[in-house]
Amino acid sequence: MSEESLRAKSGRSARRRAWDRWMGRLLPFSFAIAILPILDMIYWIGARALPTLTWTTLTTDPTGLSGGLYGPLVGTLDILALSTAISTVLGVAGAAWVAEFAGPRWADVCRTGANLLAGVPSIVVGYFGYFALVLYFGWGPSLLSGSVTLAIFLVPYIFRATDLAISGIPRDLREAALGLGASRGQYLTRVGLPVALPRILNSILLAASIGIGETAPLLYTAFFNNYPPTGLTSKTGYLTGLIWNYYDEPAHFGTEVTLAFQAAFLLLLIVIGLNVLVRVVSRRYERRLRGLFA
Amino acid sequence: MNCPSRESPNPFPALPAEPARETRVEGQAVPFSRRIRRIPGTILGAIPLLLLGGIVLTLVLSSGGQDFGLSFFGVDWNPSTAEPQDAVFGILTYVAGSVVTALPALVFALLLSLALAITLVVYVPVRWGVLLASFVDLLAGIPSVVYGIWGFWIVAPFFGTTLVPLLSRGVPASWGVCQSPASSGVGIPLAVFVLTLMIIPLTTLLLRDALRAVPRPLVEAGYALGATRWEVLRRIQIPYIRRAIGSAVLLGFGRAVGETVAVFMVIGDATVLPRNLCGLAYTMPGALVGQLDSAFIQPNYLHALVEMALVLFAITLAVNLLGRRYFPSTPGRRGATPVPPVGRGGP
Amino acid sequence: MNPTLLEGAAAPKSTAVPDPVITVEDLGVTAGSQILLRGVNVRVPDRALSAVIGPSGCGKTTFLRCLNRMVELTPELRRTGSVRYRGEDIYAPDIDPARVRRRIGMVFQRSTVFPTSIFENVAFGLRLEPDATMDIGARVEASLRRAGLWSEIRDDLDRPALSLSGGQQQRLCIARALAVEPRVLLLDEPTSSLDPVGTRKVEEMLSALRNEIAIVLVSHNIAQAARISDRTLFFYEGRLIEEGPTPQLFESPRERLTEEYITGRFG
Repeated sequence: MSEESLRAKSGRSARRRAWDRWMGRLLPFSFAIAILPILDMIYWIGARALPTLTWTTLTTDPTGLSGGLYGPLVGTLDILALSTAISTVLGVAGAAWVAEFAGPRWADVCRTGANLLAGVPSIVVGYFGYFALVLYFGWGPSLLSGSVTLAIFLVPYIFRATDLAISGIPRDLREAALGLGASRGQYLTRVGLPVALPRILNSILLAASIGIGETAPLLYTAFFNNYPPTGLTSKTGYLTGLIWNYYDEPAHFGTEVTLAFQAAFLLLLIVIGLNVLVRVVSRRYERRLRGLFA
Repeated sequence: MNCPSRESPNPFPALPAEPARETRVEGQAVPFSRRIRRIPGTILGAIPLLLLGGIVLTLVLSSGGQDFGLSFFGVDWNPSTAEPQDAVFGILTYVAGSVVTALPALVFALLLSLALAITLVVYVPVRWGVLLASFVDLLAGIPSVVYGIWGFWIVAPFFGTTLVPLLSRGVPASWGVCQSPASSGVGIPLAVFVLTLMIIPLTTLLLRDALRAVPRPLVEAGYALGATRWEVLRRIQIPYIRRAIGSAVLLGFGRAVGETVAVFMVIGDATVLPRNLCGLAYTMPGALVGQLDSAFIQPNYLHALVEMALVLFAITLAVNLLGRRYFPSTPGRRGATPVPPVGRGGP
Repeated sequence: MNPTLLEGAAAPKSTAVPDPVITVEDLGVTAGSQILLRGVNVRVPDRALSAVIGPSGCGKTTFLRCLNRMVELTPELRRTGSVRYRGEDIYAPDIDPARVRRRIGMVFQRSTVFPTSIFENVAFGLRLEPDATMDIGARVEASLRRAGLWSEIRDDLDRPALSLSGGQQQRLCIARALAVEPRVLLLDEPTSSLDPVGTRKVEEMLSALRNEIAIVLVSHNIAQAARISDRTLFFYEGRLIEEGPTPQLFESPRERLTEEYITGRFG
């Protein structure tokens, strides 16, 4: 058999190498296509927002034409706090029960329920909030309606994460606790939840990050308000809502569009900040519990 | 002799004789008192399920049971507030709008995110790969309105003055498929562009994790047989992640169809059949969010919107169920954005 | 018996290998500050089975992976020295690694069958360079015969490869590697995860194969090395301590270290 040289200049293999080389150049190019626009977005939002962004902007309420972001900012934070609290309570309690007490078939049903709920489009949740809470329950457009609606939207994230976290605790640990005479409830409160806490915390931060960026569930449940909410029953403003309302105002009237950009900038900051926080928390968690899962 | 059955309920529940632990023995009937105590927990666990049911119930009730007949699936949508009884509500225009934006965006996003995932796993040194993956993860959390406002003010002019005229010149006019619209730049092309960008972070991470899970020995066996890097990718790694790709398709589709705000902001919300692919359009979620306030005072308008919401819900539900059947869910990655489920369009 | 080798001294020249298919000169591999291999000089004879033995972690696998440029797949490893295949330096810049690996094939410790059919597994390498004149079916059959697997699976080649037993899978991997007709076959502990029957079949196959091509076999099993190899190389802590014709190395090893390892004084 004639030995072909290792030096591959022959036709067939040259073509293979050419393919390899070209794909090696083409595929990383996808990064440019996908990422450059995002960088452009971040740049421009900053460029339009920063020049006139002052402390006053953050501490004044928006008027119809100009002003600041104070009301909606407070609104966002209020909604965030309320909806996160509600969804955490519902999600953690429900998932903890499912992870520990539910029989296999019922657990499956519950988990499917959570997954299906997770798939409901945000505007549909918003419609539910409007008809059920604002109309039928009579809560009217309010901070409460908006927060509860948003909470419903966020529950699945926390539910699934808590479920995974608690179910994922090594069997040995659980059996050790039970073997020492703990009841299942005691196991949950003294061992299960504490061990799963970092992951649960993670998911709460994540849910918060998602909640901050949501618009559709709130538009028809909290309506909008230029001023900070006065109570649970008042309409609320929120940063995403401000952008929604102000973004297409003709640019030469007042400063709404600039306000919208500034709101967008703030949102970006908050979301990035939360994301970084999530990463820090999970790294701490990995370090702390490495011995446990080893 | 009558031995007290172990199954008989303790007649004195206050006594500590009833063990605090709830050890369940297979095959034993559960005593009634214990069953009662389990009810609160059962309800707790079923919270998502109850919420889901509540949503369905509310929507069904709110639709007023109004039967619009076949015209509901027609093309004309005319709330015509002058004569409410003459109003026609055909949702097909909106369905078409959704399809025409979702499908191209899905295709582009999948190709790009596959390429991205491959790049992150194969072509990029490990430490950079993790960093860049974190960055992509970050992108997944950017709010929809932010994409929208950027699209509307920054990108639209470019589309309006340069890109779309170019497109329409390139496409032969006889097709009637792309006539250059208003130079404002909003419309289907812009919506597809923005939607693609929004889908990419989600699917990329899914595919990246799948690629990393391909067993190393298999990859090495490929190399050992004299395959090039691309050949190993094409013949071993990509076929191995077939299921993940399917998952990504469904995930992307759900996001594309459910995305509400960003698409609305850049599509021009014109209730027009999207025959001109370079022109304006209107999607289902867009209509739902954009027209509800006009419908408050007109009952049949309201009902029509609710029924359209039900249609949207049904679609995403079906896709979700399909997805779970053929592609069992990937568990959320630790510390990163859990893969958002199908249908969770956008904020 | 020579005293223990001095630090850095080269191993004594082996019994002359007349026409080596692979020549290794002064091969060294480091991972950061850790030295995995050093000062390895070896000539691998053609049409013979060379066994590589030594305690775990002593560099046997690293050595093997240097012979067909698989070592480059691990970016932290740095290699020095040269490896020549029939006189050509396989690491020269204008040499295509994929070609090298077609000439010098490799089989791994655990079966790495692809999740496709038996036929497609074996045909994998052939499909990389499709040749209209090539009869893939015939080549697949030939390889399966050489691997001693043909009679067992001839009835249904479209069966999933993963449905085979462990031993059959391993032989399938060998058939797959043979399909591209390499001149050298490297095997990294191919029978360590097999039962005795599977092991025997693989050994029979290798014994028959050695008359056609060069085989380099890493084995943790000293008895196996003694059984089937023509030459033996003994590695310890990254250095080639001794190598020579198998009967000679086992009956009268030159180095004390070799003797201690062979007699099981350490493992």
